[in-house]
Amino acid sequence: MERLINSLHGRLLGVVLVINAALAPLLYLGVAAIVQDGYAELFVNSVRSYSRLVADQLETVPEREFESRAKDVLDDFELSGQVVFAEITDGERKVHGTISPLVPPQQRGDDFHFGEHSDQVYYISHTLKSGDHQAVLRLGFDESPTFERIAAAKHHVLRAILAFAVASFLVALWLSAVIARPMERLQEAAKAIAGGEVRTALETQSSIREVVDLSRHLDHMRRELVGTSERLQNEIRERAVSEEKRLDLERRLQHRERIATIGTLAGGVAHEFNNIMTPILLYSQVALDEVPTDSAVAADLTRIVAAAHRARSLVTRILTFSREMDSQQSAVFALAPTVEEAVALVRAIMPANIEIVVDARADTVPVFGDPSLVHQIVLNLCTNAYQAMRGSGGRLGLRLAASADPARTGRAGDFALLEVSDTGHGMEPAVMAHIFEPFFTTREVGEGTGLGLSVVHGIVSTMGGSITVESTPGVGTTFCVFLPGAPEQSQQQPSAAQDVA
Amino acid sequence: MASILVVDDEVEVGEAIRRVLTQAGFSCAVVTNAEAGLRAIDENPPDIVVTDVIMPKIHGLELCKILRSRYPRVRVIAISGGGSFGAQAYKPDAISTHAYLAAAREAGAQEILTKPFDLSDLLAAVRRQLPN
Repeated sequence: MERLINSLHGRLLGVVLVINAALAPLLYLGVAAIVQDGYAELFVNSVRSYSRLVADQLETVPEREFESRAKDVLDDFELSGQVVFAEITDGERKVHGTISPLVPPQQRGDDFHFGEHSDQVYYISHTLKSGDHQAVLRLGFDESPTFERIAAAKHHVLRAILAFAVASFLVALWLSAVIARPMERLQEAAKAIAGGEVRTALETQSSIREVVDLSRHLDHMRRELVGTSERLQNEIRERAVSEEKRLDLERRLQHRERIATIGTLAGGVAHEFNNIMTPILLYSQVALDEVPTDSAVAADLTRIVAAAHRARSLVTRILTFSREMDSQQSAVFALAPTVEEAVALVRAIMPANIEIVVDARADTVPVFGDPSLVHQIVLNLCTNAYQAMRGSGGRLGLRLAASADPARTGRAGDFALLEVSDTGHGMEPAVMAHIFEPFFTTREVGEGTGLGLSVVHGIVSTMGGSITVESTPGVGTTFCVFLPGAPEQSQQQPSAAQDVA
Repeated sequence: MASILVVDDEVEVGEAIRRVLTQAGFSCAVVTNAEAGLRAIDENPPDIVVTDVIMPKIHGLELCKILRSRYPRVRVIAISGGGSFGAQAYKPDAISTHAYLAAAREAGAQEILTKPFDLSDLLAAVRRQLPN
């Protein structure tokens, strides 16, 4: 109920109802009064004229015929239907119309107003003069037809007012429908939008400008909402993707670390183990030479040698397993994306006080080799740079550039230059002379293997390139790795591999 | 008779090599560090030095370099324990063995052997480095 009262429909209809309820009776009473007065005046006027007419006619009747003629005249008027009582009083004589036997109340005089008495008869008297003869004509008129006419007119008025009320009510209904229905539709659409159904365009068929405008504004809002929500969703999706990327990088980094740990462990164990296996193998083989080949001892020694060989291949397998990571084939590849991949890993492990500045825009020649080894170069050089800046923090710079200067690269040809610089503590020349040697480390026992830079050196040599270093104590260090362009390098590759064997 | 000096901080490894080489008819001495090795070489330069790479104080690479500069005629066979190497290119994890044996070559070693090596490999390497 409250909903109805508060709704536009309810308000509009309520207002119309109240107006009709207040105005219709007033209107009716007013019009009815006018109608009644009008009819009454009409009645009184016509009755007076009529009675005057009767009096005039009677006055023309000669004296001696009066008795006989008067009755006829009265009867004539009575016959016309309006007069319900007619009487002439002449001294002692009274002449009555014969048709209506009405006996008038003796006390009543003439009426002044219509409907003065409840018997619905209007009495009027006239004095008849004929010479010196005087008589009084008294006529009674029936008021009831006029009463009926007034009632009928009032009835018409009532009907007209009712018709007006109904019509205004209908107009109100139509108006409220025209305004309220599009509003309701808009409201439903707004509710749907709030409920998440934002795809459907908002349309309202309405001829009312304000409603159309409102609808247009609402649809504009909806489109904005859709745009905003799509932007948000895209952002969320992008964030999920970048989070996924980060997790992937983290997983790869952890994998690498695990592999590196296994590799270090396996390397250490393998070293000890191989030292132990060496005398076992050699003594067994020496002893084999000293016993008859068909003896039981020879058979036992052969088994020892076989077992030692199995142990050796087991160590090889362990090391091969720890080498499993990124065992990509050698290929021609562009440096920039590979370096950027490795930098992504570096970013993941660098603390916040080390700023990483990468410039990999330069158009460098493609190189030949195993991209994972280039990862290794970048990781090792960056780890070294990080160690030099540990605690103090600083700037780690990576730069790619083209280089074809034989004075720097060592020989003619197109080279790609990978420069890794830090603003760390730098190195004394005495230290710098040894940095590429295996097991050389300035770090505490257990902190570094002393192999990082020798690994880099080894990889760079294998790829046919070279590495240089410049360092100023207290200022920083810059490593320059020169890797030859692919065509030249793919020719060099077999000889480098042989050199290793 | 060719003379060979073995330098290895692992006593058992040195002794086993001496056993093999003596058996094969070479004159063989064993020391367990590079300083002792250098003293022995100064006293009486051998034909061949078989040296381990990883040793305390002076490591095998240093020894190779000293021998190359002071005794260019002395042949050097570098030995080291570790993983596989060979035809495969540098790999990050096999790098240790590989790297220092490659470094030994650069430092002047004529032969490199990965422990544990077979008797036949050792003898073949020694024989390749003898003049006749």
